[in-house]
Amino acid sequence: MMEQTIITYREEAGELLAELETSLLELEETPDDSDLINRVFRAMHTIKGSGAMFGFDEIATFTHEVETVFDLVRNGKMTVSKRLLDLTLKSRDHICYLLSMSADEAVDRRDGDEIIAGLRQLVPHGVLSQKSPGNVAVIQLPQLSGDELAEEKTWRIRFHPEHNILMCGTNPISLINELRDLGVAHVVAQIDEVPPLSEIVSEQCYIYWDIILTTSRGEDAIRDVFIFVDDDCDLKIELIDSSGLIDRNEGYKKLGDILVERGDLSPVEMQKVLQLQKRFGELLVEQGVVSPEKVQSALVEQQHVKSVRKERSEAPQQEAAASIRVPAERLDQLINLVGEMVTVQAHLTQVSMAGGDPVFIAISEEVERLTNELRDTALNIRMLPIGSTFSKFKRLVRDLSGELGKEIDMETHGAETELDKTVIEKLNDPLVHIIRNSIDHGIEMPAVRTAAGKPSAGTVFLGAEHSGDSVLITIRDDGGGLDRDAIRAKAVERGLLSATAELTDREIFAQIFAPGFSTASKVTSVSGRGVGMDVVKRGIDGLRGTIGVESVQGKGTTITLKIPLTLAIIESLLVKIGTDHFVLPLAMIEECVELSRGDVAAAHGRNVAVVRGSLTPYISLREQFGIAGERPDIEQIVIASVQGVRIGFVVDFVVGEHQTVIKPLGRIYQDVKGISGATILGDGTVALILDPIVLSREAALAESAQL
Amino acid sequence: MSFNSVVNENGAIVISTGDRLTIETVGEFFSILTEVLSAAREVYLEFDPEMEIDITGVQIICSACKSACREGSVFLYRGLLPSSLLHLIERSGVQRNALCKHNNNSTCIWFGGTE
Repeated sequence: MMEQTIITYREEAGELLAELETSLLELEETPDDSDLINRVFRAMHTIKGSGAMFGFDEIATFTHEVETVFDLVRNGKMTVSKRLLDLTLKSRDHICYLLSMSADEAVDRRDGDEIIAGLRQLVPHGVLSQKSPGNVAVIQLPQLSGDELAEEKTWRIRFHPEHNILMCGTNPISLINELRDLGVAHVVAQIDEVPPLSEIVSEQCYIYWDIILTTSRGEDAIRDVFIFVDDDCDLKIELIDSSGLIDRNEGYKKLGDILVERGDLSPVEMQKVLQLQKRFGELLVEQGVVSPEKVQSALVEQQHVKSVRKERSEAPQQEAAASIRVPAERLDQLINLVGEMVTVQAHLTQVSMAGGDPVFIAISEEVERLTNELRDTALNIRMLPIGSTFSKFKRLVRDLSGELGKEIDMETHGAETELDKTVIEKLNDPLVHIIRNSIDHGIEMPAVRTAAGKPSAGTVFLGAEHSGDSVLITIRDDGGGLDRDAIRAKAVERGLLSATAELTDREIFAQIFAPGFSTASKVTSVSGRGVGMDVVKRGIDGLRGTIGVESVQGKGTTITLKIPLTLAIIESLLVKIGTDHFVLPLAMIEECVELSRGDVAAAHGRNVAVVRGSLTPYISLREQFGIAGERPDIEQIVIASVQGVRIGFVVDFVVGEHQTVIKPLGRIYQDVKGISGATILGDGTVALILDPIVLSREAALAESAQL
Repeated sequence: MSFNSVVNENGAIVISTGDRLTIETVGEFFSILTEVLSAAREVYLEFDPEMEIDITGVQIICSACKSACREGSVFLYRGLLPSSLLHLIERSGVQRNALCKHNNNSTCIWFGGTE
């Protein structure tokens, strides 16, 4: 149980840290935004509180320091500066590190101490007592039961210490601070019992406190705060609001009701004053029935509960019951089972059609409809907005631009675009490499930009949008653009291109994806080793996606990634060669044309066909895979667009569109080039899924080897 | 001696708080205040910007303010309130923008009012 709780804490802390990073980066743009400041504070507060609760004392201790600084920011005692944001982002990274450590591993505190020291330097002198970084207090929070975590409730607490409490060494402010750590608190100190100098004993305590606290922790947690002063105070704790509490007053109770409930006003006095028909609080003070302090305290309670209720009603998405946390493996299992179901359903349809029984056919059609619905729903569950990764890239741009001395703004678009969870994870590395390249090689130094008549700050744009069954991801920079001639020269030097070849920009720019290709004159800490774009290419190929590069020298570069929405099920074209079935991804296919023996003879041994007046190269899959048997008189060319180039794949027969549930190839077959997976057809036979990108690349290599 | 000085300026007394107004020193401060408020009609506190303060310090200021009001004397501060006092006012919840019945129903100048 505890282990599960720790796993849950790690997951939730991870989410909070991601939110924290996003908020900090937004805060850099709008440093006065109090909502963002509060969001940062709340994230820190939750990480700290839960950390202490689940035994992550290192995290609790460290986060407390950062939280303290943001508390000062929240209260207007400090302003948001670049240095503060730098240190807080580093704090976030350090918490990530602490989170990754297991209980028995030794923690390296050097970074943490350095960050804390830096933060302390930012605090205005005298606002906080100075402690050495290594001497910070561990936040001890009361242990909770599971039920206590469930719901936020609002409590009215009157803490009336005995006069001698200070002389016993108790500091009431520390107790109040502990209450603040439990949730959102409004504290009003009552000073009406403070006597004049002639009656006071200066070491005694005459102040008492009214605290309105909204917390998800229970009453026991509140009482625990006062556990050591139980005999030295009069403590009254009342539940005044919770989501389950029925209250006829939509906003919150009227001022008079609160004062009567607190015992600060009698019902008779209230009625008497009400008859005067003025503002109730003013009347009470005017009449001398209640002191202004008491009225103010009651007003604080009224405002507190009203705002809690408003927040509750405006944030239905935060209700715990609205979503549940499910391990990703279970979703994978669900998708696998749905895949099996799609296969069986295809078999059922085949058998029912062959039997011709109308009742059986009707049932099979109904099963098909339900299966399709189930498939779409199951796939949707795994869909996540790509925006969850955008903040990571904003951070990358921020940090790297600082490191390289460049001014770079990042713009994002389409954060809400949804993609399969696995696809998003696999997109991370390629996007990191592309954006790093944009920052390092693309965007120029401010002086160079200004000299070129550009704004000194460059822009990196990252956008996502749906396009049919794919998502288009665009990475655009307004930097120097690709040097077409340098790329061509380098490619010729490396034997990748012929010096005399007539090539389009697209074909030349495609060379940047070759392994080890780099035109950079120097290697920086960011890029230049010629590794990055190769990684991009392999990553995107692995996702069955395509890459497009457009660039204008001096203006900038745009890289477009076209990625399928999901890796689990694809729409495809089923083809047949001899008795073997193959599958081609439908998204890449443009058209199918016939290839007669006459056409083959007319090409004089070259694998090209004239399709509407243009020569189109093709690959004979029968030859490629060494399939025996007689070629039909009329074959079919399936023409696909492979990275912008039309290439044909010759097959015996095109069966038709097919919904393909992708099954991985076993270890023995996974290195077979040109095959990316397998699928099971309705009759139980296996069809191999072809990878047109790899097939065309292999064919090009084979051709250049022959030359 | 925690308190730096008590100065008479044309009948007005200015008390410099020194660097500490906590339970350890509040008794001494109480004695000075009592003596000064009974002798002068105008008393001012001048705070050390680095002053350390706890809740007894807040209480004694409040108590002295009440006494001065009763006697019709002036009890105010000169210069700025130190950040430690401002922080304590905020954290302890004594901050208020309400009128104070002990201060002739005027706004509290010490804990959230205007000078």
